[in-house]
Amino acid sequence: MELLGVIVGISLKALIFIIGMFLGAAYLTWIERKFAGHIQQRPGPLHVGYHGLLQPIADALKVLTKEDLVPDGVDKFLFYLASLMAFVPAIMILAVVPFGEPFNIFGLEIKPYITDLNIALILALAFGSISIYGVIFAGWASNSKYPMIGGLRKAAVLIGYEVALGFAMVGPIMQAGSFSLKEIVEAQSSYWFIIPNILGFVVILFAILAETGRTPFDVQEAEAELVSGYNTEYTAMKFGLFPLAEWYIATFVLSAIAVILFFGGWQPFPLLGWLPIPGIVWFFIKVFALFMFFLWVHWTLPRYRVDQITELAWKVMLPLALANIFIVALWVIIVG
Amino acid sequence: MQNHLCWIDEEKLKEIKNKFPEISIEKFPNATFIYISKERLKDLLKSLKDEFGFKMFIDFTCVDYPESENRFLGVYFLINPKDKQRVGVKCWATNETLPTITDLWKGAKWAEREAYDMFGVRFEGHENLVRMFLWEGYPYYPLRKDFPREGYKTEYLPSLNERNKDYPAHNYDPNHTPLPTLEDLERTQKARIKKKAQMVLNWGPLHPGTHGTIWFIFDMEGEEIKQCDIILGQLHRGIEKLAEELTYTQFIPYTDRMDYISALCSQVAYVNTVEKLLKVEPPPKAKWIRTMMCELQRINSHLLWLGTYALDIGALTIFLYTFREREKLMDIIEGIAGIRLNSSYIRIGGVSKDLPEGALDVIRHFIKDFPEKLKEYETILTKNRVWIRRNVNIGVITEEDVYQYGLTGVVARASGVPYDIRALQPTDAYDKVDFEIPLGTVGDCYDRYLVRMEEMRQSLNIIKQCVEELEKLKDDKYLATENPYVLPTLEEVYLSIESMVKDFNLRIYGEQAPEEEIYLSGENPRGELGFYVVSKGDGKPYRIKIRSGAFYNLQIFTELIKGRTVADAVVLLGSLDPVVGETDR
Repeated sequence: MELLGVIVGISLKALIFIIGMFLGAAYLTWIERKFAGHIQQRPGPLHVGYHGLLQPIADALKVLTKEDLVPDGVDKFLFYLASLMAFVPAIMILAVVPFGEPFNIFGLEIKPYITDLNIALILALAFGSISIYGVIFAGWASNSKYPMIGGLRKAAVLIGYEVALGFAMVGPIMQAGSFSLKEIVEAQSSYWFIIPNILGFVVILFAILAETGRTPFDVQEAEAELVSGYNTEYTAMKFGLFPLAEWYIATFVLSAIAVILFFGGWQPFPLLGWLPIPGIVWFFIKVFALFMFFLWVHWTLPRYRVDQITELAWKVMLPLALANIFIVALWVIIVG
Repeated sequence: MQNHLCWIDEEKLKEIKNKFPEISIEKFPNATFIYISKERLKDLLKSLKDEFGFKMFIDFTCVDYPESENRFLGVYFLINPKDKQRVGVKCWATNETLPTITDLWKGAKWAEREAYDMFGVRFEGHENLVRMFLWEGYPYYPLRKDFPREGYKTEYLPSLNERNKDYPAHNYDPNHTPLPTLEDLERTQKARIKKKAQMVLNWGPLHPGTHGTIWFIFDMEGEEIKQCDIILGQLHRGIEKLAEELTYTQFIPYTDRMDYISALCSQVAYVNTVEKLLKVEPPPKAKWIRTMMCELQRINSHLLWLGTYALDIGALTIFLYTFREREKLMDIIEGIAGIRLNSSYIRIGGVSKDLPEGALDVIRHFIKDFPEKLKEYETILTKNRVWIRRNVNIGVITEEDVYQYGLTGVVARASGVPYDIRALQPTDAYDKVDFEIPLGTVGDCYDRYLVRMEEMRQSLNIIKQCVEELEKLKDDKYLATENPYVLPTLEEVYLSIESMVKDFNLRIYGEQAPEEEIYLSGENPRGELGFYVVSKGDGKPYRIKIRSGAFYNLQIFTELIKGRTVADAVVLLGSLDPVVGETDR
């Protein structure tokens, strides 16, 4: 009976998370379009609903009802699999991301996370790596030259940044002594891990930009060079899943992980702890701030060339991440 | 040494005559040609290049004289950048062949291909003499005089004919001029490039990075481009052929549609040529208006370039910022000329409309406003690390390349060659305004960017002077209607019978130009736009050859891209800034 309760509870929670993420991602598109619009001195979506608030729903309906074309000569199995491969792992990272402390409603303890694994961070990294296959499969299965170049570019970029990302995450782990994201947050109750980990945070910022394919690292779909990159041959919802997964869900989830690692997760801002704001709100404030930072970068900068990106990854980011480990090790020995 | 670009002087001609006694010299008020036989052509050109300093290749074309014994006449234009002199060399193509000069000037490669495409003149020794604009297998040579303007209608196209029965109205011709089939296109592609590396990527003709319908073929090893060729002609409309059946005034709207981004500059360049030919002197007010409009158009064009260039490199936001300003310019141009893009505003002998009331105020406001916006673009881009990494040392063009390929405009100036027609051969009011010619040092994409940015400032400076001057000339005439070659205004046509007769005559019979040849050019935002007009004394030109800056500038792309990646291709193409309407004509 208890097992059944746990299963039902987790399934319900997973459902809420997935639906929430879907809706959230839909509205992240609205936020991005509004934000980009105002950066570019235009209003952004305006006509569907109040200030375009219903625009994401209209877009979703449009994408879902479009004709689903599959070009001749594609590898059908991989072609279909690719969009799912990009999307599903990105959303699966959510399983280990804690949004706040457990709290009680009507005597029922509710944990605002699906599961608290002791290898959570490694799992998140692993899922993150899998979602890259989506892009590579899409490029390969399309049987077309532009998608293939796009997919290969993405692979080249990711090999570099996965390494840097992994090493940059070592600092907080060393300080917290755990892979569990929940425990990492709890370890930051006195001070945030950004303090000795500033280099690691810089590396993670770059790595998130590269992993999610935002400018200056959006080489895989550089529209002026490769038409649309790896998703050139895709249509309808198969196409819609790519930007949804890459630009919104992955950016959001990776921002959440960065917040957990460096900015104390749901811990309140320093000196503002007395405010009656629940931890989950603090968490979202931080995640959104980081998310908006990525949007800001995306809509301002030009893009690097792919060889310059990999050069940056191996020659700058990896040494920085290693230096970060060294600094944190000293910090742990000296401060404790 | 004179300041202005002019035609070759007596001294040099005498020296050439001493060296090549068989030449004959043909002199027109605005052009000087040296006739030479086919056998001695290469020697003459070589000595002109090496000994007389005519090292810059400007243009090559053919003229068809069906009655003549050797039907085709090849015409070469060269420039001596040191002494600022032009020379034309003419040579009869006996047996429809000419020796190639691609070993002297690499820039002649495409010009010779164009001549082959349009006239069927063969060039001995040309490395790959294939069609320039038309597809392989097209049986005719369109610029020959015996080719009808509407083409040979040989093909029955079911897609155009099997429609609703009501559709074809009277005089409907079921046959059409042939279109290239897929096999034709494949053959065209195969003729341009032989695959050597891993894969052949068709970049274009419809691709967001190509700024129009240019078809690039990249032979790539990974992402590195080993060899490249360009197929032009998707926008080829045969403007030069059309010109032969139009009067001089009727051709003005066609010049708009060549470089549609800087239509006013093209009009001014063309109208100046025709005015020199007809010896029409526009009133000073019209000259100042033209100069002002040209510079407005130049800023407009450079803004579009900046926006799309940044867009190519991934900076999406600059595009909308530049279009914000461009929109204001468009409104100004619309307010003055009546039309935003293809305005046909310039007329032989002046401009078509007077400045409307308040136009100068709006422009003055724009002048005040614009430097701030320019600074805004520069803040985002000039010192941006990503921008610098993408631009510096990409596509370095040396001074030698400029002369070899006949590069003009910003591309030449960024390489340190002070070649600016506005200063070299001032038309309109350019000799009365004060401006500087920004020069680059390295000749890479970053220099071209900086030069264009600085050019916008200089243009603004010129506009400021024009506005001040136009303020004084408020009540002057804007059209020299007293001249017999200038179309009268509408009011004059309605009010006086003489004007009506003149209007009728000019519209029906055209401007009866003297039997003369002329080559004159204007400084387009994309380079030197030259018009070589051959007049036989009719109301229509016998031949107009348009020397397009973009066409020659684009030619060096295939050289610069070798060993670079697709990502650099967009940067390079953007910085060369071709407009397909002008390259294809």
